[in-house]
Amino acid sequence: MNLSDIATLALYNLRRNTMRTILTSLGVAVGIGSLAAMISFAQGITGNISRSMENNDIFTGLTATSRSFDLDAPGSRSTILSQDKPEVPLNDSVIDGIRSWSEVAIAFPVVSKPAMVMLAGRSVQASVKAVPMEMGGYPPFANISRGRFFSDAEEARVIVSRQLLQQMRIRVEGDDENITSGNGTLVLPVDSVIGKDLTIITRVFDPTKLDMIKSRNGELPLRNEETAIQIAGIIDNGALSSGVFNGSDVFIPSDAINYVPCIDVRSIYDIMDGKTDRTAKYGYVHIRVKEHNNLKAVKYRLEEMGLQVFSVGDKLDDIENIFLMLDSIFAAVGVIALLVSVLGIVNTLIMAIYERRKEIGIMKSLGATQWQIKMIFYLEAAIIGLVGGVCGVVGGKLASQAASSFANTQIGKIIGCNLEFFDFSWTLALMAVLFSVIISVAASVYPANRAAGIDPLDALRRE
Amino acid sequence: MALLKVSNLCKTYYKGENKIYALRNINFDVEEGEFVSIVGKSGSGKSTLLNLLGGMDTSAEGSVCVEGVNILTMSEKQLARYRKFTIGMIFQSFNLIPTRTAIDNVKLPLIFSNYPRRLRETRACELLYNMGLYNRAMHYPSELSGGEAQRVAIARALANKPKIILADEPTGNLDTATSAEIISLLQMFNKKHHITIIMVTHDKETAGRVSHKTVLLSDGEIIKISTNPNP
Repeated sequence: MNLSDIATLALYNLRRNTMRTILTSLGVAVGIGSLAAMISFAQGITGNISRSMENNDIFTGLTATSRSFDLDAPGSRSTILSQDKPEVPLNDSVIDGIRSWSEVAIAFPVVSKPAMVMLAGRSVQASVKAVPMEMGGYPPFANISRGRFFSDAEEARVIVSRQLLQQMRIRVEGDDENITSGNGTLVLPVDSVIGKDLTIITRVFDPTKLDMIKSRNGELPLRNEETAIQIAGIIDNGALSSGVFNGSDVFIPSDAINYVPCIDVRSIYDIMDGKTDRTAKYGYVHIRVKEHNNLKAVKYRLEEMGLQVFSVGDKLDDIENIFLMLDSIFAAVGVIALLVSVLGIVNTLIMAIYERRKEIGIMKSLGATQWQIKMIFYLEAAIIGLVGGVCGVVGGKLASQAASSFANTQIGKIIGCNLEFFDFSWTLALMAVLFSVIISVAASVYPANRAAGIDPLDALRRE
Repeated sequence: MALLKVSNLCKTYYKGENKIYALRNINFDVEEGEFVSIVGKSGSGKSTLLNLLGGMDTSAEGSVCVEGVNILTMSEKQLARYRKFTIGMIFQSFNLIPTRTAIDNVKLPLIFSNYPRRLRETRACELLYNMGLYNRAMHYPSELSGGEAQRVAIARALANKPKIILADEPTGNLDTATSAEIISLLQMFNKKHHITIIMVTHDKETAGRVSHKTVLLSDGEIIKISTNPNP
């Protein structure tokens, strides 16, 4: 008896009780569909977080500061700054030195300026951050959704985040309506944003108001300065949700940041602290290493220099463990659903044994071996598993798509972009079907053994 | 050497603490091509003996040697092979699978014996044709008369060209005319194809008429073996 014979007999047996076969397969479909949807959800969430981390240099990036923070001493600024370590001045020569390290891909000072920005008569608070030209080849700037990256280091152009436009209630034509919609939304054609001027209003030092400090009337010697800079591109928010560019909405080439005048708050603090021999030019330096493996070595070298280093990348193992735990929790929920459907298969096959007891006896009297009887039952279960698995995967995929669409209509507006909540890959689909078949066959082991063990004499006696 | 040799065969079971002999010290031989009938009253042990000869039951003392091999000591796999290729069984209640057509029932032993798939249909049709049932091939057992169903069962028993046919009261559920038809069919296969037939029946008169050897059982013991050289 070859496999096609067994398949023929198994299919014949399943067709004999079509309704029961359909219901059992449906049970498997629900179990497999739930399991696949749960896993795809966990993978989707994990994928979103991972992508966001990758896009923001979490795994290859670290930030170093010359200021040593004593986290055990919360409170005023003077206590936050640890006094027992000498401050390493972060200036261009130090950063150039870091750049020359073989493990380092890019190193640049983190420079940002608080501002109010205006476009098409709408304004919001924003942070203007300097971006080195080298970042054009790396995420998130490697894929600008509208417009382009900077072509020249000194080019007076800005890239704005979609979130900034969203805060202004501006939607560019062709963008997802779910993200920015409702009353007051201004829909602009692309060429009314790209190539148009963004007005950046910053606070600058006004020496004419120095007397105000002396009079201590509470007003600072500052005034507003307006700078109009052309918008070169729009960048998606998803890519900016974490990392060194987190919280920034307007990006400008590093060499062009000085086009935006702004009072350096640190300078005021330095004046207040009585520091006049200031050698540090920057607060932070961001370093992107060539390989994730280089992260620890670079971190060590920076710490050796006396810099305080922040890096999430060296906690990758912990992050992966969290992801694994997340996957396991969702998979466990799916497995429970699957176990219920497995019980359905066991029940169906045991019922089949009772119904086909005499038939099994006849088969054995005609020379069927125990293995042949078992194989018929295994294949019946495998067919149920296959049909249930395929239906489950299709159902799970459709359900996850519907759930994803619904979630995006709700959450997309808040986070400013659509996310793939479910990562339903072909590999997952194939694995789910394979798992369904394996688990179904496993569920049939006990019924198949019982069927194979039927005494033909006893079975034939029972009329 | 006898095709089948039964030696000191005893089958017992317990009823409470009492040991009951279903078969006691059974000894007889069956030569190749013989038609042997086992006769006796109900409860005499005829069917028990036939089940032991068919390898359907192996829990007994003594031996049942077929072509020199004791089937009582065979493994499950060897027994399956024995039932598949050496014997063909016919039952009083036909034991056809009700949800399969006549031709599918005949094809079933061919499936288990790995008979070439493309030849199964031909073999099954040939057998049904020989039984005069070619036009009933696609009918289900419920659509067949008792005689037709038993002829399908005979065709099924002959499918793998066995050396021995074991028939357990094959005419028990049939009227006289149909019974005679079935008996003459078995006789024909015995004479024409030299298939050994061992038939259990209560009909002493028919057994004596058609059999080379008639084994008379009573209370699990052989009380007489009569022979008929020209049945």
